[in-house]
Amino acid sequence: MTILRDVLAELISMFVGDALLTATVLVVVGFAAALIDLGSVTPLVGGGVLLVGCLVVLASAVARAARRQ
Amino acid sequence: MIEWSTTAPAVGSAFLASVVEIVEAFTIILAVATLRGWRPAVLGTAAALTVLATIVLALGPVLDLVPLHALQLVIGVLLLLFGIGWLRKAALRMAGVIPLHDEEAIFAAETAQLGEEARRRKTSLDWIAGITAFKAVLLEGLEVVFIVIAVGAGRGLLWPASLGALAACALVLLVGAVVHRPLSRVPENTLKFGVGVMLSAFGVFWTGEGLGVEWPGADFALFVFAALFLGTGLLAATLARTSVRKAAQ
Repeated sequence: MTILRDVLAELISMFVGDALLTATVLVVVGFAAALIDLGSVTPLVGGGVLLVGCLVVLASAVARAARRQ
Repeated sequence: MIEWSTTAPAVGSAFLASVVEIVEAFTIILAVATLRGWRPAVLGTAAALTVLATIVLALGPVLDLVPLHALQLVIGVLLLLFGIGWLRKAALRMAGVIPLHDEEAIFAAETAQLGEEARRRKTSLDWIAGITAFKAVLLEGLEVVFIVIAVGAGRGLLWPASLGALAACALVLLVGAVVHRPLSRVPENTLKFGVGVMLSAFGVFWTGEGLGVEWPGADFALFVFAALFLGTGLLAATLARTSVRKAAQ
């Protein structure tokens, strides 16, 4: 049972190590998907938003952790 | 036909991620072997590798049944979460915000903990040692399994990616068995940084394709994304280091 619990904890920590980071990545993906599906932008523009959004999320996550330190 | 522009990053990511994870698992395997000999260490490791291989073999055919765009979207998002998480941690370690992995210290702590547990539980030390090796390889290997599936499933590269991971596993275990000490000289954080960059690039690529984006340059867009993540990660690490130094003064 301990091994199963550890496996579960490992799986969760793989994707939700930092809850705010997970949430912001999901928001960026959702925003890009909404732009493509609901908005009038071409899929490539939505892809650009996804790419730039992820880069911003990375930079801000590192800066936030450094500030907290 | 398999394109090298997709195969090379997929196999490379699986290989490098496996090196990182197996180096971490090897430290614990070595602690087990030092305390109780190689038999429980090898048995625990072999059992865990069998479980991990079974997971890959079982999931492979199931993933073939999922529609490609849905598969790309789900795997792409998971890769983004996982890859940016790795990259963030590697950048923070590079900046000195969080400490680097110290395999020597982990080895000493694991050896002490293993001896203590055996005394406390009064169970066969071989059994505890075998289970410890099993758990270490299983937990570290789960990340490798995810990476192999994630970078391999979208383009039918499950076998090449698995072979890349297996090659890394064999290499690390062989070198580790020969030198017989924790592999503390492996540039773990640099490898982790590189893998984080590739996984994040794959994440944007698959998620975009899942949303219907046709990337200019097709697979070569992966290299552009990787360069952008590398640049952003290095810049973020530099800025974080500066901010930590300023705060320390």
